[in-house]
Amino acid sequence: MLELKHVKKSYDNVTILEDINLQIKDGEIVSILGPSGCGKTTLLNLVLGLTPADSGQIIFDGKDMTNVPMEERGFNIVFQDYALFPNLNVYKNITYGLKNKPEISTKEEVDEFIELLGLKEHLNKKIEQLSGGQKQRVALARTMVMKPKILLLDEPLSALDGVIKESIKQKIKEIARDFHLTTIIVTHDPEEALTLSDKVLIVNKGGISQYGAPQEIITAPQNNFLKEFILNQLEIKRNNIFALFQQDITRKVQAV
Amino acid sequence: MIRKEREIKVIYVLVLAIFAVFLAVPIVRLLMESFIGEAGAGIENYVNVLTGKGFMKALGNSVTVSVSSALISTLLAFFMTYSIQYTNLNKKFKTVIQTLAVLPMLLPTITYGFAIIYSFGKQGLLTKLFGTQLFEIYGFNGLMFGYVIYTLPISFMLILNTMGFIDKKFMVVSRVMGDSPVQTFWQTIIRPLLGTLAASFVQCFFLCFTDYGIPASVGGEYDVVATVLYNEMLGSIPNFNRGAVVAMMMLIPSVISIALLKYLERYNMRYNRISQIELKKNPVRDGVCAVGSSLILLSVLAIFAVIFVVPLVQEWPYQVNFTLEHVQAVLNDQSLFGVYQNSIFFFFCTALIGLLVTYGAALATARSGLNGKLKGVIDAIALVTNTIPGMVIGIAFMFIFSGTALQNTFFLIILCNVVHFFSTPYLMMRNSLSKLNSSWETTASLMGDTWIKTIVRIVTPNMTSTLLEVFSYYFVNAMVTVSAVIFIAGARTMVITTKIKELQYYTKFNEVFVLSLFILGTNLIVKGILGYVIKRKEKKEN
Ligand SMILES: Nc1ncnc2c1ncn2[C@@H]1O[C@H](COP(=O)(O)OP(=O)(O)OP(=O)(O)O)[C@@H](O)[C@H]1O
Ligand SMILES: [Mg+2]
Repeated sequence: MLELKHVKKSYDNVTILEDINLQIKDGEIVSILGPSGCGKTTLLNLVLGLTPADSGQIIFDGKDMTNVPMEERGFNIVFQDYALFPNLNVYKNITYGLKNKPEISTKEEVDEFIELLGLKEHLNKKIEQLSGGQKQRVALARTMVMKPKILLLDEPLSALDGVIKESIKQKIKEIARDFHLTTIIVTHDPEEALTLSDKVLIVNKGGISQYGAPQEIITAPQNNFLKEFILNQLEIKRNNIFALFQQDITRKVQAV
Repeated sequence: MIRKEREIKVIYVLVLAIFAVFLAVPIVRLLMESFIGEAGAGIENYVNVLTGKGFMKALGNSVTVSVSSALISTLLAFFMTYSIQYTNLNKKFKTVIQTLAVLPMLLPTITYGFAIIYSFGKQGLLTKLFGTQLFEIYGFNGLMFGYVIYTLPISFMLILNTMGFIDKKFMVVSRVMGDSPVQTFWQTIIRPLLGTLAASFVQCFFLCFTDYGIPASVGGEYDVVATVLYNEMLGSIPNFNRGAVVAMMMLIPSVISIALLKYLERYNMRYNRISQIELKKNPVRDGVCAVGSSLILLSVLAIFAVIFVVPLVQEWPYQVNFTLEHVQAVLNDQSLFGVYQNSIFFFFCTALIGLLVTYGAALATARSGLNGKLKGVIDAIALVTNTIPGMVIGIAFMFIFSGTALQNTFFLIILCNVVHFFSTPYLMMRNSLSKLNSSWETTASLMGDTWIKTIVRIVTPNMTSTLLEVFSYYFVNAMVTVSAVIFIAGARTMVITTKIKELQYYTKFNEVFVLSLFILGTNLIVKGILGYVIKRKEKKEN
């Protein structure tokens, strides 16, 4: 279990996050949702250990991680821009970490990830020959090979479109289920957050606006921000889509 | 920081230490020397130098000839770049212009001077061709000629670079708005270029003002600041303290020039996108540009022709049959060819150490979480090294390292060059490094890499083009520079350019030109090989 207690973070005397308290159970998928600049990436970086917290504690499985260096926490991240190494081919990217720690994954396990993410036919390609979705999957595979205790994803879907988005979403869910892997995903798309995760953490104005299962958030929004920004947005979307299908239905009816 | 970045801190400290010992301390010492006189410390030296007639006259001369040369260079360079960017001339022809225009950069300035003497002098190649000496070469004319050849390539590259980023679509806009051709020319070409043209002028002025190679050969009686400085330091009646004053005085226009350049950077127009348009058919414009550019390049090349002619004939100008005798003689003369061999080795070392220092410095500024102020220190160093003329660094080194174990060592020359030429390659490195994905180090360290490992396995392989360019920059510049090393090269540590200066003293011009040919050849080979490797890499990546 991951636990954040009274975590505070500021940059240059501007408080970004204040008194963050949070518990994430093993194997849960949690989305962090909020407007641009609210500190989602910062929160992710705090968990990762890339930036230190000003105060508060980060506890994982009962162990205080607050001052443990990033490399020793055993968490791993996929960055929004993937950060793949262009001088290495797909396979070498995926197995990069095994050069340093060969004992982490066996050859079979690596092959399994490659199979699962559908990368088999791309292994010898250069990074720039890949599409956005393929790059995303390579980055995911590279991280999964390291068997992280927590998987962090910063806007994993925002650079992708339509169908690919849905398929990557599916892969992320599969991986989290199959490997019972705690996964934290940053997003600014409410639909994505609510359909992808077990729990949604909504951040606004430096604090937690609400933290709960998607159903709770839809049915019992706790404040105005949630109602106005999140639910409103979803409602407009729903109405648009309904309107579209409505036309479709009317046309079909007329045709008959 | 949770990440400790210990390695980068060590590198940062090392870089700073190098510049403290080989830049700050020598320059401060120079400043102090300028205040020490016979009657103790004071401004006595300054008063002496500034009220002495020689210096003020030289200063006036320097300014006059530098301003004239800078103007001419910028104009000619603009003309040539215009021919490349705004005419429908043949692509091949444009490539030829582009290549030939930068060729003189591969030769030391001291060679230009001798080339002018052997072209336009009484017995000169061109004088023979025309049957009469076209102009008096020693003094103003010769200097200006030399300076223009020297600065033309630099101005050319500067202007060409900006001109390539001007959006040509604005020409169409201007025309459909009913502007006259002159207005269009002004609005869409000159206006966006003004900052760069001014920058080119200032840069050329700075180079002319601080160069020693050209006055050393064709200065004649026309004293400029660089000659005064040389004479105060290494002339028949040296006076080091006065020399220090002159050096400080040379620093002032340099500082102003660089400050101006920094200021002018703001005036560079930025277009969001560059669109190519079909240029209007205009045979007259194209013809004029073709002829004009060819003439400019021919004049430059004509002068360089003597570098090939003189050493390859029996005895210029009396016996003009072809012979390899002189080349052979140089090859056999260990005191000459040995210098060449040593030099190559040390230029190689310079390039290598320069590469390491700039890479380390750029890693610290572009890829670390170091405090912004600490990074600012390195940027400031880059600016300072850009401001300080080679002669001034050379003299400062002379003050501080005379009598130490470092005196007369190649190590000293290497560091002098590394420091002197730091600015441009450092900025090249910093730019490339900051374009690389900022999360690589984090990602790799999560995969168990140490920082060094990441640099070796990921960052460096993605930097090869820039690394090679920096290597070649250091190599070529170390090879052609004379201003700084002339003060610190001893008999045991001759490099080619200082050897050329010595040969001039004994009027052994065949040898001068043979060595110049070696320099040109070596630079062409180095640039050629590295350029080829870079091209091939870039092709592979695309
Ligand atoms: N290294 C830093 N130094 C100073 N301020 C920072 C730094 N990193 C982030 N900030 C500031 O902290 C705030 C939160 O940034 P963060 O990147 O966490 O936002 P975000 O929620 O991820 O936004 P987005 O949706 O746009 O990615 C922003 O106001 C940003 O300017
Ligand atoms: Mg973000």
